[in-house]
Amino acid sequence: MQIRLTVNGEERVVETTATTRLLDLLRTDLKLTGTKEGCGKGECGACTVLLNGQLVASCLLLAPQADRAEIITIEGIGSAEGLDPIQESYLEAGAVQCGFCTPGMILASKKLLEENPRPTVEEIRRGLSGNLCRCTGYHKIIAAVRLSAQKMADKGEGKDE
Amino acid sequence: MKKRGRGIATIMFGFGYGEGFPDHSIAAIEIKEQGPILVKTAAADVGQGVLTVLTQIAAEVLRVAPDRIVLSAGDTALTKNAGSTSATRQTYFTGSAVQKAAEGVLALLYHYGSLALHCNHPELVVKDGRVYRYDRPDHFMSYQELARLAHEKGELLQAEASFFPRTDAPDPETGQGERVYVAYTFMTQIAEVEVDTATGLVEVLRFDTALDLGKALNPQAVEGQIEGGTVMGMGMALMEEQVIKAGITLNPDLTGYLIPTALDCPPFYSRLVENKDAAGPFGAKGIGEPVTIGATPALANAIYAAIGIRFFELPITPDKIIKALRQEQGTNG
Ligand code: FES
Ligand code: FES
Repeated sequence: MQIRLTVNGEERVVETTATTRLLDLLRTDLKLTGTKEGCGKGECGACTVLLNGQLVASCLLLAPQADRAEIITIEGIGSAEGLDPIQESYLEAGAVQCGFCTPGMILASKKLLEENPRPTVEEIRRGLSGNLCRCTGYHKIIAAVRLSAQKMADKGEGKDE
Repeated sequence: MKKRGRGIATIMFGFGYGEGFPDHSIAAIEIKEQGPILVKTAAADVGQGVLTVLTQIAAEVLRVAPDRIVLSAGDTALTKNAGSTSATRQTYFTGSAVQKAAEGVLALLYHYGSLALHCNHPELVVKDGRVYRYDRPDHFMSYQELARLAHEKGELLQAEASFFPRTDAPDPETGQGERVYVAYTFMTQIAEVEVDTATGLVEVLRFDTALDLGKALNPQAVEGQIEGGTVMGMGMALMEEQVIKAGITLNPDLTGYLIPTALDCPPFYSRLVENKDAAGPFGAKGIGEPVTIGATPALANAIYAAIGIRFFELPITPDKIIKALRQEQGTNG
């Protein structure tokens, strides 16, 4: 079967099957390997992507469920030349160790900051609690989200002037 | 009722395989006619940051910015044995091998530089990818040009080095030995907890760490490793439990086997003690395992300080705490 979806702003038509996971469509068919598979059963958040603006575990969705949807993966956030403020903050705060959780963490951070541009530490902890990290102690990831909020606020103020 | 307590743990950790095992690492560094400086090592980075640190070490010795260095990590066609990423050994062993290889390349830069610029090596400046005479800074040769010179002579601008320190097997009777491990890392941690006596839940409020690591090659990465290691120790103390029945793991997933999430982890305060007492690169010692080990006894002690009960089986889960509190009440009342 054929599905049509927008991935990182680009319209894609993909030949797939009814039992293909969205995760495999992204990684194998579209070669977007930034999205990771940790557990394959909705427990770790490594496969997180945004589907119509909602955080989803792409290992739990079937590709046809993404028909006509708009997907943002980590490849759609910033670029090598121009990092997103969240990515910049993760680097500066030292929030990336092995990096396996990072794509999902960054998408979860993005969603959190969109809904709540000035989150408290408790709100950040809650917002990231669906994403497991085995390398850091989350401390620097939380610091990165706070730094992102600061950077985005500074930018916003810059615009107003 | 919520009860607070603090617990402390101090550990001493001998790292590397030790005990007379032939533990070593081999690294090579090559400067080519074009492109960045290549560090060849089989050391595996699993999130602890060894490749970052190796890049820093090579850059420091070769006097270039870290972005001039690339690593061919784990390419078995190009690299030789670096030993395992285990036993808290990669920074110390491969770091030392890379430092020695870089020193070998630095010596070659002086060698080919003095040939090319017709002077003795004390008259040379080797810095920022250039070699020149003190009195003629404009008349320089790049590291890459010196590589071409070496190639013209049928030689390579490359050095390979190994780090192979001796250790001794301990006496089987006494457990003593002259040098059982290459060096020791020391750490003290304090955990502060709040135990809810109604639910048995333990909330970890903060962790303070003092770590004697010789020298922090990358302080931010050291903190990251302290925090991540401590959280593993926290998991072991409070929730991680593999349930095995008749040889089969009953909870082979992250719903049944819980690991700490962002909601479970406290803020960390770390102090790095740079007490150089070992022969590692720039005085650095290994920290990987020590930082995972102290958290568990520190938490067990903190729980004891909070509710006055000692636990001798891990993890100290809410049901065990409730049961112990009830028993205590029973015997007291
Ligand atoms: S891989 Fe999808 S949640 Fe773990
Ligand atoms: S950085 Fe390794 S899992 Fe988060």
